[in-house]
Amino acid sequence: MYRYVVTRVAQSALLLVLVVSLSFLFIRLAPGDPVTYLYGSQQLSAEVLTNIRHEWGLDRPLWQQYWAYVQNVLRGNLGYSQINQQSVTPLLRAIVPNTLLLMAPSILIAAGIGVLLGVAAARRVNRWWDYSIGALSLIGYSTPPFWLGIIFIVTFASRLRWLPTQGMATLGADHRGLAGVLDVARHMALPTGVLVWWYLAAFARLTRASMLEESAKPYLVTARMKGLPERQVVYRHALRNAAKPILTILGLQLGTMLAGAVMTEVVFAWPGMGRVLFTAIIQHDYPVVLGIFMLVGTVVVLTNLTVDLLYLIVDPRIRYA
Amino acid sequence: MLDEVLPRLRVHVAGSAPARQTPARRFWRVFRRNRAAVVSLCALIVTSIIGPSAVLVFAINPEAMSADVLSPPSLGHPMGSDYLGRDVLGRVLHGINTSLLVGAAVALTATGIGLALGTVAGYRGGWFDHAIMRVADALLIIPTFFLVLSIAFVFGGSLASVVVLLGVTMWPPVARIVRGEVLSLREEAFVLSARALGLSDTKIMFREILPSTLPPGIAMIALLGSAGILTEASLSFLGVGDPNVVSLGQMLTNGLEYTTTAWWVPSFPGAAIFALVLLMNVLGDGLNAALSPRMWGR
Repeated sequence: MYRYVVTRVAQSALLLVLVVSLSFLFIRLAPGDPVTYLYGSQQLSAEVLTNIRHEWGLDRPLWQQYWAYVQNVLRGNLGYSQINQQSVTPLLRAIVPNTLLLMAPSILIAAGIGVLLGVAAARRVNRWWDYSIGALSLIGYSTPPFWLGIIFIVTFASRLRWLPTQGMATLGADHRGLAGVLDVARHMALPTGVLVWWYLAAFARLTRASMLEESAKPYLVTARMKGLPERQVVYRHALRNAAKPILTILGLQLGTMLAGAVMTEVVFAWPGMGRVLFTAIIQHDYPVVLGIFMLVGTVVVLTNLTVDLLYLIVDPRIRYA
Repeated sequence: MLDEVLPRLRVHVAGSAPARQTPARRFWRVFRRNRAAVVSLCALIVTSIIGPSAVLVFAINPEAMSADVLSPPSLGHPMGSDYLGRDVLGRVLHGINTSLLVGAAVALTATGIGLALGTVAGYRGGWFDHAIMRVADALLIIPTFFLVLSIAFVFGGSLASVVVLLGVTMWPPVARIVRGEVLSLREEAFVLSARALGLSDTKIMFREILPSTLPPGIAMIALLGSAGILTEASLSFLGVGDPNVVSLGQMLTNGLEYTTTAWWVPSFPGAAIFALVLLMNVLGDGLNAALSPRMWGR
C-alpha cells in the first residue's frame, strides 16, 4: 500500500514539474521577449533595452531563469500580464469562482440524473429503455457545447424571451439580497443547461458500463439470495462498487469537462476562465494563457491523485491488494 | 453484455466449420447488425464524396462576397448569407471538407503511433515498455486540450501542426489495447516458430504479430476521428485554429455576435460539426463492438 501511495504521489509530482516546465518552455519560446513586447514600439536605444533585460534577469543563464520561474510559481506567482497591467494570479483568483459557480451545480445535477439513467439502462440491457438512453447519451456527448449554447440562445432567449443570454448579472440592477441571487440564477440557467446536457451523457454511459461490469459478480447473487429488495441490491451493493471506475474515469475527464465549461462561458459571455482565456488568445497575452494552462494542469493532476488516494481509504480491497 | 458476446461466440463456432470465415467477413457479420452504424458509415462516405465534388463542380469560392449581407435562408442562399455577404452553405461545405480531413488525419496518426508503440512496447518489454506506458499515463492525466491549445497558441497553429499535435496526444488508448494483445500473443506457437526460424525481431513484430493486433488496434479509429473533429473545432472556436483555412469552428466564433440578429450565421456551421461528430461516434461504437474482443468503457 505504501508503495502504491509513494508511486502515485511521485508520479503526480513529476507531472506537476512537467506542467510547469512546459509553461516555462512555451513562454521562453513565444515570439518576442517581454522587453520588445513592452517597449518595442518606443524609440529606445539598444543599450537601454539591454539594461532593462539585465535588470529583469533575462540575460542570465536559462537554468537560473528556470529556477526563478519555479520559485515564483511555488509562491503562487504565475507571471505578469503586460496587456492587463496586472499579475496573473489575482486575475485568475477573481474569475475562477465564477467558473466553479457554473461547473459545480452542473456536475451535481448531471451526476444525479446521469447515474439514475445509467442504472436504468444497465438494468434493462438491450431493451427499449437501454437503447433510448444509449441514443440520448450518444447525442449528448456528440453535441459541441458552444453550438448547443447558440441553439439555447436562439430558442429560449431571442425567440421566447424567457431568460437572459449574456453575462452574470443584469447591468445596473440592484445586486443585493435575494433579488441579486435570483438575477444571477436566471443568468446561470442557460449555460448550466448546456453543461448538464453535455456532462449527463458521460455520467450515463460510464454508469451503464460500470454497472454491467458488476452485474455478473457473485456478491449480487448473495445479496439477492438473502432476499434483499432489488432496489437495495442495485443501489446499495452494485452501484457502490460501480462507483470507483466511474469516479476514476471522471477524474481523467476533468480536463475535458473544464474545456466544455470554457467554451460555454464564451458563448454566454460568462465572466469566468473561458471568457478570460478567449480574450487573452485574441490579445496574444501569453502569461494569462499559460497561467490558465498551469492552473488547469495542477487542478487536474491533484484531483486525480485525490480520487485515487480517497479510494485507498474507502475501499479496503485496494489497501491490501 | 451477453448479447455483445454471443454473436462473437457464434461466429467463432461458425469459423471452425468447414467454410472458414476471413476476419473481414467475421467483422462484417457483427458490424452489419448495428444498423445505425451502417447508416452512419454510408452517410459519411456520401458526405466525403459530395463535399469535395460540390466544391469542385460548382466552383464554390468560400470568400466570395456580395452586397447581400445577413440575408436569411432563401432559395439563392439555402443557409443564408453572413456579415460579408458570403454564402453560408458554400462555406459550410468547405468547412465539412476541412473537418473530415482533420478527423481522418488525426485518427490515422493516433492509430499509427499507437499500433507501433504498443507493438514494440508489448514485444520488447523491459525499460522501453515501462517508459512508453508512463508517457501514456501522463498523456491520459494531463489535460491535453489545454496542452494542445497552449502549444498551438504559442507556436501558431497551422492545420497540419494541429493535426500532428492531436495525433501525438491521442494515441495512448490504442497503444494500451495493442500492448495487451501483444503480451498474450508473444508466447504463442507462431511467434516461437518464427523466432526459431531466425526471423529478426522487427519482422516478427510487424509481419507476424501486428496483423493479429490490427482489429482491436483500429477499433477506436472512428472514435478518435470524432474526437479529432470536435477538438479541432473547439480550438478554432477559441481562436487558435489555422486562419488560412475555412473551418467550422472559426465560422461559429465569427458568427457569435450575430446569434440574436442572424441565427443562421453561427447555427449551421455548428449543426455541421454536430452531425459529423454524431455520425463518427455512432460508426465508432459499431466498429468498436465489431473489432474488439471485449468491451472497454469510454
